[in-house]
Amino acid sequence: MSQETKFKCLRCGYEYVEKYAPDDDVERACPKCHSNSVRPEKAKKADAAKEE
Amino acid sequence: MMDVGRHPRIELMAYSEVEGVGGYVGNFKVKVRKKARYVREEDCNSCAECAEVCPVVVPDEFQMGLSSRKAIYLPFPQAVPASYIIDMDACLGTNPIACGKCEEVCEKVCIDYDMKDEVVELDVGVIVVATGMDVYDPTELDEYCYTRYDNVVTSMEFERLICASGATEGHFVRPSDHEVPRRIAFIQCVGSRNNAGDKGNRYCSNICCMNTVKDTLLLRDHYPDCECTVFYMDIRAFGKGFEDLYMRSREEGVKYIRGLPGEIRQDAETKNLFLTAENTLTGEVVEREFDMVILSVGVIPRQDNPLIKKLLSLSTTADGFYMEAHPKLKPVDTPTRGVYICGCAESPKDVKDSVTQASAAVARAMTLLNAGEVTAEAITASIDAAFCTGCGLCAKVCPFNAIVVDKDRKTASVVSAMCMGCGNCGATCNQGAVTMGHFTDEQYYAQMDALLEENPENKIFTFACNWCSYAGADNAGVSRLQYPATPRLVRTMCSARVTEDFVLYAFMKGAPVVLVSGCHFADCHYIDANRQTVKRVYRLWDKLEKLSIRPERLQLEWISAAEGQKFARVMREVEEMRKQVTAAEIEHTRKAVAEEWEKKLAREAKRKKKAEADESRDEVQVS
Repeated sequence: MSQETKFKCLRCGYEYVEKYAPDDDVERACPKCHSNSVRPEKAKKADAAKEE
Repeated sequence: MMDVGRHPRIELMAYSEVEGVGGYVGNFKVKVRKKARYVREEDCNSCAECAEVCPVVVPDEFQMGLSSRKAIYLPFPQAVPASYIIDMDACLGTNPIACGKCEEVCEKVCIDYDMKDEVVELDVGVIVVATGMDVYDPTELDEYCYTRYDNVVTSMEFERLICASGATEGHFVRPSDHEVPRRIAFIQCVGSRNNAGDKGNRYCSNICCMNTVKDTLLLRDHYPDCECTVFYMDIRAFGKGFEDLYMRSREEGVKYIRGLPGEIRQDAETKNLFLTAENTLTGEVVEREFDMVILSVGVIPRQDNPLIKKLLSLSTTADGFYMEAHPKLKPVDTPTRGVYICGCAESPKDVKDSVTQASAAVARAMTLLNAGEVTAEAITASIDAAFCTGCGLCAKVCPFNAIVVDKDRKTASVVSAMCMGCGNCGATCNQGAVTMGHFTDEQYYAQMDALLEENPENKIFTFACNWCSYAGADNAGVSRLQYPATPRLVRTMCSARVTEDFVLYAFMKGAPVVLVSGCHFADCHYIDANRQTVKRVYRLWDKLEKLSIRPERLQLEWISAAEGQKFARVMREVEEMRKQVTAAEIEHTRKAVAEEWEKKLAREAKRKKKAEADESRDEVQVS
């Protein structure tokens, strides 16, 4: 099941939120620099960031 | 179609569905369900007396619902075999007391209400997928009012209306009052070339422009006084003779307005339609009245493509059409050996291109069949039973289902004819049981040793997949693009071959940055193997973080063979990252990974010892 997940680009450092499920078949890219090195943060971390 | 039906060496299985496909190239086992027709096709002579007496009337799917058929019917006039079928969902005859009229009048005694589906299994050497396409449904496009106005029809419905065997027997009339329309508008690119991506598709459907040009000429030929106007984005008349046909249409008086209507309004009384559009060539906003509007709808992948994809281990593009093994060199091959594609199953195309591609697919199939034997790839995987625990992880990630797990003997084996050598299993196996032919772990470690022997801190260590990224690097080279001299490339057949250990080893050898690159998702030459690359990189980022190594030092990028520019740009960006990695950071990384590596070597040694002990015990038992 997809859920809002925080992604961080490991090229330019840009952070953004996108729907994500471990098995989804989506080629991800940073919306800012278009790098494919985008890392989903762990669910707990994303929730904490949301609360902030 | 008739020739195919009569051919002594072709078995035509109409009204049938493929339910399962097993085996591999040269030895496919295909399970086919022959659906019950309830009419014995070998006896039926299509006299149509059954349909005449049938009391059930339902919309005719072939005529796009513009006319009706009976519950017992011939699917379409040119159907082969020319045998009737009973639509059991509509028929009353399952209970002969209720009806049974068709059975009463059938002199050939063909009707069999008790007929059952038959499942047959076929042994075949190769498979050609020619499943065609579906037509776009414009209902979602509110601006064209397809479902609200009777006189707005699709190009497919137009075909049925103007066809001699169609709903109106070739008399072209508009649906609202059955009058012959005099002013007809065609709207192009309905459901195609929508870059917003919210409705319709992004791709060009290829056939609609010339289909409309043909339709306008047909109308002018049948009804010389009719006025045709085409609203278009671009007319793509690219094939042999197409431009001449387009010019002929213009010379015949067909008006072409460059601009798509924003809305359609209907006169409630006359049911005439008013189209408003901006002519982008003159900048004028034009409003015209028409008797009928024809939406030139695009084509879409068949709805059951995902099912066939799963059955045959095929891959599809982002649009949903089947993907070829190579766009230029293997345009009709698929990633699965022995399976070929042609026609609109591969992409939207016209009849001529479909026939050309079908001929190519058959030629490829015949080449394979005539050879009489199949040579396995030299780069296939092999599994050492001594190390294999039968966990099945390799089988789970194999995109070609080429690995068979024996749960009783707790071991797995590779079907060489099915293996394409992507190396995904090799990277997944944590027992070290898988060996990739010509791409062994030892070979990779040797390459890493050599490339990082001198001044590793000045190098961007890159794993590049054979089909896309490595070719992208080539493209950058032959295009003479400028990028830093620091990248060192190691070729893998697929990015999924890159194990976690390879990356850690590169860091241990002093690499400041490691880049893993592969094909874009839609281009993966091993169906979906590169999805495992992503999972592995995610795990590695976590691992690096645990070892207090910045995850940024492991980069991931999808670069296609045509993206030389992207390759150069990525290398420039990663070079900037490399410059920021300090000598102290590299030293810390070396130490942290070296500790992990020691543990890994200890685990491996233990496993090897155990395997040797098991082997010697087995030998004793045998003796």
